[in-house]
Amino acid sequence: MKQTVQKLFGVLGRPFETGGKLEKLHPLYEAVETVVLWPDRVTDVSPQVRDHLDLKRFMSFVILALIPPAVYGIYNTGYQGRLASGLSMDTAGVLWTGLLIFLPMLIVSYAAGLFWEVLFSAVRKHPVSEGFLVTGLLFPLTLPPTTPLWMVAAGISFGVVIGKEVFGGTGRNILNPALTARAFLFFAYPAQMSGEVWVRIIGGPGPAADAVTGATPLALAPTLATGVRLEPALREAGYSFSTLFWGGYPGSIGATSAFMCLIGGIFLVLTGIANFRTILGGIAGVLGTGYLIHFLADPAASPWYSLNPFYHLVMGGFAFGLVYMATDPVTAPGMERVKYLYGFLIGALTVVIRVYNPAFPEGVMLAILFMNIFAPLLDQFEISIRNKRRVPNV
Amino acid sequence: MISIHLKKGYDLNVAGKPSRELKTLPPPDQVALLPDKLPFVKPRLTVKTGDRVQVGSVLFEDKANPGVKFVSPGGGTVVDIQYGPRRVIEAVVIRLDGEEAFAQFPPIPENRIADVARDKLAAALVDGGVWPLIRELPFRNIPRPDTQMPSAVFVDLSSEEPFQPVPGVYLRDRADLLRYGAGVLRRLAKRVIVSIADRDAGLLAETGLEDAPDCFPIRYRGHYPAGDPGVLLYRTKRTAKENRSWFIRGQDLLLLAGLLRDGVFPTERTVVVGGTGSPVHGHIRTRIGAPLAHLLGGAGPNGDTRYIQGGLLSGYAAPREGHLGLYETGLTLIPEGRERELFGFIRPGYSKPSYSRAFLSVFHTAPFERNCNTHGEERACINCGYCAHVCPVDILPQYTMKALRADEIEEALALGLLDCVECGLCTYVCPSKLELYQTLKNAKARYHQEMNR
Repeated sequence: MKQTVQKLFGVLGRPFETGGKLEKLHPLYEAVETVVLWPDRVTDVSPQVRDHLDLKRFMSFVILALIPPAVYGIYNTGYQGRLASGLSMDTAGVLWTGLLIFLPMLIVSYAAGLFWEVLFSAVRKHPVSEGFLVTGLLFPLTLPPTTPLWMVAAGISFGVVIGKEVFGGTGRNILNPALTARAFLFFAYPAQMSGEVWVRIIGGPGPAADAVTGATPLALAPTLATGVRLEPALREAGYSFSTLFWGGYPGSIGATSAFMCLIGGIFLVLTGIANFRTILGGIAGVLGTGYLIHFLADPAASPWYSLNPFYHLVMGGFAFGLVYMATDPVTAPGMERVKYLYGFLIGALTVVIRVYNPAFPEGVMLAILFMNIFAPLLDQFEISIRNKRRVPNV
Repeated sequence: MISIHLKKGYDLNVAGKPSRELKTLPPPDQVALLPDKLPFVKPRLTVKTGDRVQVGSVLFEDKANPGVKFVSPGGGTVVDIQYGPRRVIEAVVIRLDGEEAFAQFPPIPENRIADVARDKLAAALVDGGVWPLIRELPFRNIPRPDTQMPSAVFVDLSSEEPFQPVPGVYLRDRADLLRYGAGVLRRLAKRVIVSIADRDAGLLAETGLEDAPDCFPIRYRGHYPAGDPGVLLYRTKRTAKENRSWFIRGQDLLLLAGLLRDGVFPTERTVVVGGTGSPVHGHIRTRIGAPLAHLLGGAGPNGDTRYIQGGLLSGYAAPREGHLGLYETGLTLIPEGRERELFGFIRPGYSKPSYSRAFLSVFHTAPFERNCNTHGEERACINCGYCAHVCPVDILPQYTMKALRADEIEEALALGLLDCVECGLCTYVCPSKLELYQTLKNAKARYHQEMNR
């Protein structure tokens, strides 16, 4: 089996070699080849032995961790779509509908993103980096199911080119590329990114009686009169705490279920791919700020003020953003202790943006991007303290 | 006694562990000295092919460190001087006579050491060719014989690196020699710090070093490179003055002591041979500069086997027909590992050892078979922080590497570049397969050259 594959690549690879017809596309060929066949590179300098972990495995573990929210997202997207369209709700049908909605977005995201990756790799004569495989999957999961495909392509192009490649590619970017792509769409096409965009109507007899229509949980508060308490209003709109936790409501494809993000997060922390410090800090940030507002502000002044802070953890994309985007090692601080602070500030900013800025219903995206900018400063802060404690050696 | 526990660092858990059994080999046909493996040494040859040499005759001197001599580890004829690229002298090979002649040096009895002036003692070490066995931190160069007294000299008896001789074997019947050596070091440095692993600590009392005057024993435990003098210095130093401490390996101290006590250059070396590619697994008593094939009992395995001198992490690859280096006490043979694997990156990996927890090998406690595959391709640094996590002296290798790439040498120094003990763990764990160790080591070497211009 291995010999056959090796031979096959030997034949297929010929046009991509130096002097071949497709020489320019060598990075693309190499990317495919090294995924299928592990490279046989051996050490040429000391140390003579190396660890088995590499970036391919590192990144593929993030993809593995994304499987629970992605699969649930497909199911939920199909479910909400069929519910709103009044179609039958059998599991196979629901999954099929979800796949029909999500797969084209995923394919467009990977194809458009890969085009730019390969283009930049070919020009720079670099190998294609595995980091893109994560970005290309993360991005469509953060989108509403109604996003047109051309918009997916535009978003991922912006994210890959401006968010990453202009800085030199994976490892050198200062902003999370998937979030950059999401933010681009959010500001460039606000109409398609907020409002009644969370359920894809797929034709059929019309909404069933219990179909959810109206505002998403995050957009609900600004619509309420002052003095109304948010929790009962959320429950009335069908967003009880458990619904928000399990994720059975309309929203961004992969980001509705805090439970699935929890599973992914536990997997990432146990395998050591994501740092638990950022995640703990983020949860503390949300709860700390949430309780501060809860206790200090007058509940009559805004519906948000009366909200139990635990709701913030399960609403919108916070769990998804914290687990999969805030922990991105490239854009997070590298130092251990400031990771708590970094996470904390992401959580705090998320709550502040949600509560005090009705123009942006989703705070986590902006909070993470904002803290990405501050990550090097936080690092500098900890490094300078650390350096002062060393006995100088020059 | 000071006790040190190194929580950082990492143990490789390699299969092919050598036994404690000691085998004494007959003398080899030839021995060699490898000038280009001596850090910072610029050799000026004093012999040419065909010259007759005795054990202890000068083979070459160090242009960069005037006065320091390197003497022949064997008596016979210089048969070959091997040059590498850019006329680097790779080896001076001596074919041994049946009856070797020894150059004679004035011996110093143990009770007279204290009476000899320090510069006279240093001169005796230089003339006898054992001065190069002493090295100076942080660059691990050979100190100038006329430098002022260092604040300490570290004697490291044990090593955590796979695979190195254990003190219980190479010190057997040599406790008096070790005591003699410690007496010499006391005259050279303000303090003599003898370090030993917890598991070997019983030996310290046996050798009588535990309560020798001016001797400061350190017991350490923890992962590789816990016993490294650089690590112990980092953990014990209070002021910047201590940075230029000296160190000498336990076995090298026996050689140094042997020369002064007996008046002839000692040529004995205890070496450990191991690794899954090796036909021999154990301690071997042989000669300095012996051919590697000799250690393996005739011709060693060829083909896809790599010969590693020193340790698996800090050592270097040697050719099959190479010789043992002056400082090296280990030879490890492991397969090259050029096989390709289908979808290797996503396999469960029960038999794939890793510092990370991303393989099922976290449940695997038996020793692992190792090879020289890089297990991945080079990528940009993603700041995962594994290197900083494993670094025994709290350098941030990822930031230091970036500072060095930007030519910010001041920043690299502030991050602790010179504290680097050259253990190689940062490169070992790096998932982006970056040559952090080389970057840091080369930067240190460059800095050393600048300082000594």
